[in-house]
Amino acid sequence: MVVLKENNLLNSLTKMGVDLGAKDQAFELLSGLEFPTRRTEDWRYTSVKKILKKNYVQYNEAEHVVLSNEIVPSLDAYNIVLVNGVYSQELSDVNFPDEVVVDTFQNAMKLHSSLIHNTFNLIAKNKEEVFTALNTSYFLEGVFIHIPKKVKLEKRIHVIHVNTKNNVVSNLRLLIVADSFSEVGVIQSFASVNAIECLTNSVTEVFVKENAKVVLDKVQSEEPNNNLISTVQVNQKSNSTFKINTATVSGDFVRNGINIDVDGENCTSEMNGLYMQKGIQHVDNHTKVSHLKPNCTSFELYKGVLRDKSTGVFNGKVIVEVDAQKIEAYQQNKNIILSREATMNAKPELEIFADDVKCSHGTTTGQFDEEAIFYLQTRGISKESAKNLLIEAFADEVLDKVDSDELRIWVKEKLG
Amino acid sequence: MLQVKNLHASVGDKEILKGLNIEVNAGEIHAIMGPNGSGKSTLSAVLAGRDEYEVTAGEVVYLGKELLELNPEERSWEGIFLAFQYPVEIPGVSNINFLKTAINERRKYFKQDPIAAKDFLKMVKEKSALVELSDKLKNRSVNVGFSGGEKKRNEIFQMAMLEPKLSILDETDSGLDIDALKIVAHGVNTLKSKDNATIVITHYQRLLDYIIPDFVHVLYDGRIIKTGGKELALELEEKGYDWLIKEEA
Repeated sequence: MVVLKENNLLNSLTKMGVDLGAKDQAFELLSGLEFPTRRTEDWRYTSVKKILKKNYVQYNEAEHVVLSNEIVPSLDAYNIVLVNGVYSQELSDVNFPDEVVVDTFQNAMKLHSSLIHNTFNLIAKNKEEVFTALNTSYFLEGVFIHIPKKVKLEKRIHVIHVNTKNNVVSNLRLLIVADSFSEVGVIQSFASVNAIECLTNSVTEVFVKENAKVVLDKVQSEEPNNNLISTVQVNQKSNSTFKINTATVSGDFVRNGINIDVDGENCTSEMNGLYMQKGIQHVDNHTKVSHLKPNCTSFELYKGVLRDKSTGVFNGKVIVEVDAQKIEAYQQNKNIILSREATMNAKPELEIFADDVKCSHGTTTGQFDEEAIFYLQTRGISKESAKNLLIEAFADEVLDKVDSDELRIWVKEKLG
Repeated sequence: MLQVKNLHASVGDKEILKGLNIEVNAGEIHAIMGPNGSGKSTLSAVLAGRDEYEVTAGEVVYLGKELLELNPEERSWEGIFLAFQYPVEIPGVSNINFLKTAINERRKYFKQDPIAAKDFLKMVKEKSALVELSDKLKNRSVNVGFSGGEKKRNEIFQMAMLEPKLSILDETDSGLDIDALKIVAHGVNTLKSKDNATIVITHYQRLLDYIIPDFVHVLYDGRIIKTGGKELALELEEKGYDWLIKEEA
């Protein structure tokens, strides 16, 4: 508790903006929690010490910014833009078809207060996760996405978060409710323009109702010297499909947490991730899928290439509860290490309490396939090109999971 | 074209080639035969530039150049091709894409523009027909999910695409049934010209029924212990290697 009170991060924060009745309670929880240390199991390989020590600035007015394709992918999508954590009216789309709601909490409360109250903060793990409690206590504004029953939104929704000043701290909140038989694709981009030493703490809650389908693509391309903690909390009902793809292109400190509760039968859950790290970049992917009901399938594929002095963490937990029979859960994590000084910590964790399940997991961390490089060289492909061909092939397996061609191409080009 | 003089090569502390001499001229086919462990695969690996092998003595001159000074890709650009005994599977890299990259890197080396898409496709069509490689296999990841025979046909397809001056076929007949063997041999024979040369490394005489060598060399304990015409292969088939080894001793 001492830790909590005395860090600069907390001193930089002020409670303001919309309050949906959760802030006080979360703040109370927060004061009972401690920030993780290396002794905290889930944070063993990721130190937040540096992040807590810094001084930050909280913004409450959106700056003007020009978003080029260089900074965030220019997609054929509805854009919702937050600059330094503040909703930008100027850059955000406001008209949506079929009674779809994409708006700030503040605005959405006018017409949809009961829907928001019934979902907001319901599945956020404020009690267990300090950065979630922090987010719930201090989020300034949030974005609410509601896809009504049977609506299939063809155009994707692109939620863009961009920092334009140094030392910005922002607690971003996103709530996605996809009603039964609806379909939506949401892209969450995290970027920065000439901004360093920022901390973005993002919490996204996703409700995938019966027979609904939600695809969430996270693109992380902040400049070096920035810090990002991104937590996604998902609840799936029967016959639903949820897919999340996470591409970490840059940013020096990235922690991704994904928790999926599969709370219905015949669901499909898919998590894919790609991280290509250099310099001193640190990327930590913690995923957890909890199978609570029978007859569901989950797939997970995370791949990374680590260069220079970069460090990576993968922790994939699969829990199959006692009544969740006939579950199929597949998990794979593969890493290529290109430098002696790079490190990868990979840990799959299966906790299976049902007896009729099919689960597999595997993790590999290694260097290049020297045989393949030699083979390509003998065909007249230089060693450098051979390595690039192999990295591209390695990454393609994950990139192929991204449905949007324009997004896939953007990420691929960024990864170079 | 190729002069190998007193070649000594080791892996770790173990010397495998112990003073090997061979000369290959344009227009010739040489067969190198020998029992297991005699150094056949080491020879092909050293010629292609695999770096686990250390050359401790001797020299290799290829078209007037010190071959051992070149890295594997430079050797390829200069016209050397190795058909692997065990072709490597490369998931995610398409056969066609990789050949295009290979051809264009060589063209760059010779300061030529990249090959036009139309010309490349025409070439693919023509050369794949030579070894009866289907469209499906051409577009798949390199060697992934190929049968043993398909892998070897793919090697000859690559050879046809790269148009080498000196081809080294390392145990290309291993794991091939007779039909695949005929297809592979047909490919090699069709590509033969007065300007190129082939070294066929093999265990068995069988392949030499289809690819007729001008010279047959017997490799034993890191040296060539006998050289003869194509009839030597038949003699080896009949009598084995023991009589030669005894003669040598």
